[in-house]
Amino acid sequence: MKSFTHVNPKSLQETVSLLKESRQGGETTAVVGGGSDLLGMIKEERVAPDVVVNLKTVEGLQGIDSGSDGVRIGGLVTVDELSAHSLIRSQYTVLAEAAQSVATPQIRNVGTVAGNVCQRPWCWYYREGFPCFKNGGERCFSIIGENQFNAIFGGGPSFIVHPSDTAPALMALGASFRIVGPDQERWVPASEFFILPRENVSRENVLAEDEVLAEIRLPKVEAGERSHYVKVMDRETWTHAVVSVAISLQVEGGICRKARVVLGGVAPIPWHLPEVERMLEGKRMTPEVAGQAGMLAVSGAQGLSKNAYKIPLTEALVRRTLISMTA
Amino acid sequence: MVEKLKTVGTATPRVDGLERVTGRATYSADIRLPNMLYARVLRSPHPHARVLRVDPSRALAVSGVKAVLTHENCDIVWSSGDRANPRRLFNNTVRLVGDPVAAVAATDRHLAEEALKLIDVQYEPLDFVLDAEEALEPGAVEIYPGGNLSPVFSFTNPGPGKREPSIYVRGDVEKGFADSDKVFEGHYLSKHINNAQLEPRVAVARWEGDKLTVWTPTQGISSCHRDISTSLKIPPEKVRVICQYMGGGFGNKNQCQDSDLIAAELAQAAGQPVKLELTRKEDFIAVHGRWPTSQYYKIGVKTDGTLQAIELLGYSGMGPYKKSSGDIAGIDFYGCPSIKKEIYTVFTNTAVGANFRGPPYPQGVFGLGSMMDEIAHDLKIDPVEFHLKNFTRQYRDETPYTSSGLAECIRQGAELFEWSRRWSPAGSGTEPIKKGIGMAIGGFGSNLGRSSAVLRLDSEGTLWVHVGITDIGTGAKTTMALIAAEAVGVALEKVQVISGDTDRCPYSVGESGSRTTSHTGGAIVEAAKDLKAQWAANGLPEGDEELIAEASPAPRLQGVARVAFAAHFVEVEVDTELGSVRPLKYVAMHDSGRIINPLTAASQVKGGVIQGIGMALHEQLIYDENTGIPVNPGYYGARVMTHLDAPEVEVHFIETEDAYGPFGAKAVGEPPIVPVVGAMANAVFNAIGKRITELPMTRDKIIGASS
Amino acid sequence: MKPITRRSFLEKSGTGIAVAGTIPALSIPVPQRGSSPDASAPTSQIQLKVNGQAHRIEVEDRWTLTEVLRDHLGLTGTRLGCDRGECGACTVLLEGKNVYSCSYLAVWADGKDITTVEGLARGDELDPLQQAFITHDGPQCGFCTSGQLMSARALLNDNPHPTEKEARQAMAGNVCRCSNYNRYLEAVLAAAEEDTSRG
Repeated sequence: MKSFTHVNPKSLQETVSLLKESRQGGETTAVVGGGSDLLGMIKEERVAPDVVVNLKTVEGLQGIDSGSDGVRIGGLVTVDELSAHSLIRSQYTVLAEAAQSVATPQIRNVGTVAGNVCQRPWCWYYREGFPCFKNGGERCFSIIGENQFNAIFGGGPSFIVHPSDTAPALMALGASFRIVGPDQERWVPASEFFILPRENVSRENVLAEDEVLAEIRLPKVEAGERSHYVKVMDRETWTHAVVSVAISLQVEGGICRKARVVLGGVAPIPWHLPEVERMLEGKRMTPEVAGQAGMLAVSGAQGLSKNAYKIPLTEALVRRTLISMTA
Repeated sequence: MVEKLKTVGTATPRVDGLERVTGRATYSADIRLPNMLYARVLRSPHPHARVLRVDPSRALAVSGVKAVLTHENCDIVWSSGDRANPRRLFNNTVRLVGDPVAAVAATDRHLAEEALKLIDVQYEPLDFVLDAEEALEPGAVEIYPGGNLSPVFSFTNPGPGKREPSIYVRGDVEKGFADSDKVFEGHYLSKHINNAQLEPRVAVARWEGDKLTVWTPTQGISSCHRDISTSLKIPPEKVRVICQYMGGGFGNKNQCQDSDLIAAELAQAAGQPVKLELTRKEDFIAVHGRWPTSQYYKIGVKTDGTLQAIELLGYSGMGPYKKSSGDIAGIDFYGCPSIKKEIYTVFTNTAVGANFRGPPYPQGVFGLGSMMDEIAHDLKIDPVEFHLKNFTRQYRDETPYTSSGLAECIRQGAELFEWSRRWSPAGSGTEPIKKGIGMAIGGFGSNLGRSSAVLRLDSEGTLWVHVGITDIGTGAKTTMALIAAEAVGVALEKVQVISGDTDRCPYSVGESGSRTTSHTGGAIVEAAKDLKAQWAANGLPEGDEELIAEASPAPRLQGVARVAFAAHFVEVEVDTELGSVRPLKYVAMHDSGRIINPLTAASQVKGGVIQGIGMALHEQLIYDENTGIPVNPGYYGARVMTHLDAPEVEVHFIETEDAYGPFGAKAVGEPPIVPVVGAMANAVFNAIGKRITELPMTRDKIIGASS
Repeated sequence: MKPITRRSFLEKSGTGIAVAGTIPALSIPVPQRGSSPDASAPTSQIQLKVNGQAHRIEVEDRWTLTEVLRDHLGLTGTRLGCDRGECGACTVLLEGKNVYSCSYLAVWADGKDITTVEGLARGDELDPLQQAFITHDGPQCGFCTSGQLMSARALLNDNPHPTEKEARQAMAGNVCRCSNYNRYLEAVLAAAEEDTSRG
């Protein structure tokens, strides 16, 4: 493993200043939360930071607090804390379930929610160091290669899928992210945080190199709102979603008042389905309606040579999840 | 059923259990010597290329870098690397992604790793071929001059063989097909999967004068010792191999590995001990895994289900170096008058295809077991009845078995599994989530052969058992202790097993092919006869006296065949919409003769079954066809089974009486994986009514077959 | 001292992430690494409490916790199986929680309490899990065993009476390629029972 300098800033301001200065000095940097994934990427030489900036020692990035306007989650809250938190489990179920489905207990114990949201792709070609777009190269090897897990929505020029479980859940819950940089801080809705390869092929989100995802806010849950995350995996643990679905529904007297439906594992970003939501809203939730939602969910999907099976899979997953939530 | 014995046959926790649960067990990676250097290997990024230039000078200029090996200063032929074509430690031409190009020893492992990047290599990439059948087509790149059909491999004659397929014939298949009421054809594909044992390869080499000691994880200290001595051209007495604890191999650690030799050569060049640690990825791409196969079957039967003829045309992808037979096996579990089997073992530019538990069988039983199930289905015969009609009565229909519990495995297994109650016709479920059941039969040879044991009985009554075994997880140390205690007539607590060190132990056959219990256990029984005679004649020794007995029997079976048998039954749940397959109930029936230790034997069966389920459902080393680079090496990519994937496996032993081997014990370790993939595939067929003909049975295939 | 090739590569890709050295080459030129490995890799002073014993140690910033435990503190019971957080052989307890020590830098463990397999027994008295692992034949090759024990210990500390499903979930991050999962599960549930009977 290449050597690097490890630094422990105490505050966010110190963190982002450090990032800025290091980069101005021509050094490459990496920000680390839990570190499991980053360390693997350094060992595999996907990244080669000169400076590793540790967020674990930064104050103010911890804790889950609820207030009158919702819930605040520190970026450094571990995936395990999130999945075990009673308020998250009872009111933001989709998020707790998504967190519970991440990797393994050991990784959930150190992995952070911010790290999970900002996780780099797990496309084989990227991880194995092929000179693909994500590695700074000029092609996507999956298009004519082993694309069984690649995108059926939103692909091009890169066909990676976003690997995060918590990200679709946060989008379904209407979360917003506090982003802190050296000169400013800003709030970005989860739905605007992720960016498609056609906007910027080397990144998956709007974070600049010297910015940190510091905090997540969830709006207050409305009466009758319930949510659910279902993840299809190729073994029962420690794989990323082949397809996952995060759904939040507000149902009154059997009628859907509000719906948020977001897919994981199918697109380079968590894939929001506004048409499905519009179709559901105002309808009585029946298996037939769920079936229509499933069909509509995949109406824009396009398979590559080896991943077309994900289309009927997604259709079934959306339908069955809706049925299970309204039965 | 076998007669009860005093010690043998008692469920016994491992004699080294304490070491295994306290972290005190010493594996090769735990060896740390004064002045020890760390080594790393630079490997080809190309599937096939000429090395035009390899220049280590920038690496050698770094302080702390002590030695660099390349094909220019090291032309050692690795004797167990390929029995037919010489495989060098550093080949030029390189023939797979992961072929070693250079090795570095440095004072620190990170330094060694960084130094690899300072070795300048210029490659001339060559055309490459990944698939065995493609490699035989006209115009395919020749990995060796003369084409890609690899020479016939023979354990008894390891020299260069003829380049021809391996052919087995009995009866007359053409006549058999003519006599058949119906002829079935099918094509089945299995993939390369890695052994993925938890312990990666580590070799520590130290020279003291002209004596070389190597600590290495090996499934056979004796063969490893022989290979090192042959490859490095040093006298056997100048080589010592030590392997006290070994973290699994499943065939991956047979004989010696190039890492042992590279460590020894680096240590020689640097004048310091060297530890070479392979990464997990290196283990996946550059050691070896189960060879992939393409199997074309043609089977003729009478309408009552009686087999008339079986023809198999098969292709096995061996990678560019041939370490194992490449056979596709399973036909021998059936009686049939006419057989023709023609297997082409083929060089490809992929990871080497070689031994992985039950080497030629699980993939063979997948294909053949699926065919048999298909025939039973078509003829509307219950698979259990079909197998009771057609299972092997004599080895290759001519040689009697020393014992066979196969019929009982099938009959009792069907009962214990409640086969009839669970049975419904294939694809009859109407819901998207369907259940199905399947069965398959299998087995593994339990030959006898040469091995040695030395027994010492001291005045304290302690029985010292010197055997050249390594306990790779099978519980061999405990098995040897139980056999020795029974054979000599002492309490198990009085037995001390000395193993895993060629300077302290006599020859042993090696922990492969389920041979240790029969061969080395047999040697203990022989030595015990002598020891007991001495004991009877002279009484217990006094003071520093000892009674010492040794035996090196080399028994051979004549006119009989000795095989351990199995029949497996599984129920699965298939979600046809989500494409997932989940085993719900598994019953494994085994005839392994007398069971020496029911506790560890059942563990091995449970483990073999779960490994097999991983092969059936998940595992495959995938190569990118455009670049020849493997894309998913590692546990994440292979999706190996976990606690959450593993079903409860119910194990039953049919303890047949067998007149050979120590107390009638037959093979335990290899057989359990043999029928699994076939049984799983048949259960999936029974659930969805469509046959999956290509492994692994992944989601895309299930959804594809169901829609 | 930064190599120009890497910097120009960075400028081209416009990220803070450099793609380094051993990319499978194909036809695209591989960026060259620096002229010499860093002879003086950055280090930090850290304090660890391992199995109750305090250590003050200077570590390279890049060293993993596995490396420090095995190579510098001589605690080789923690095994290295994949070095990528995929197998679990390196599992230790960090402040009571099971973590992959291969994927955790030693500098992150500064000031923290660590338990390894060597810290499970009290003198000659085995942890009930260790005893149950022997009795129920948990270890086959034994290489995953330390990690299985540590995950099981984390589970029982947190939940002394796990259901079978809870035990499987808690152990899910520990691969056993001998696939002795039935036995490990049996052993963990039996040890929990044992804990109960001890009151």
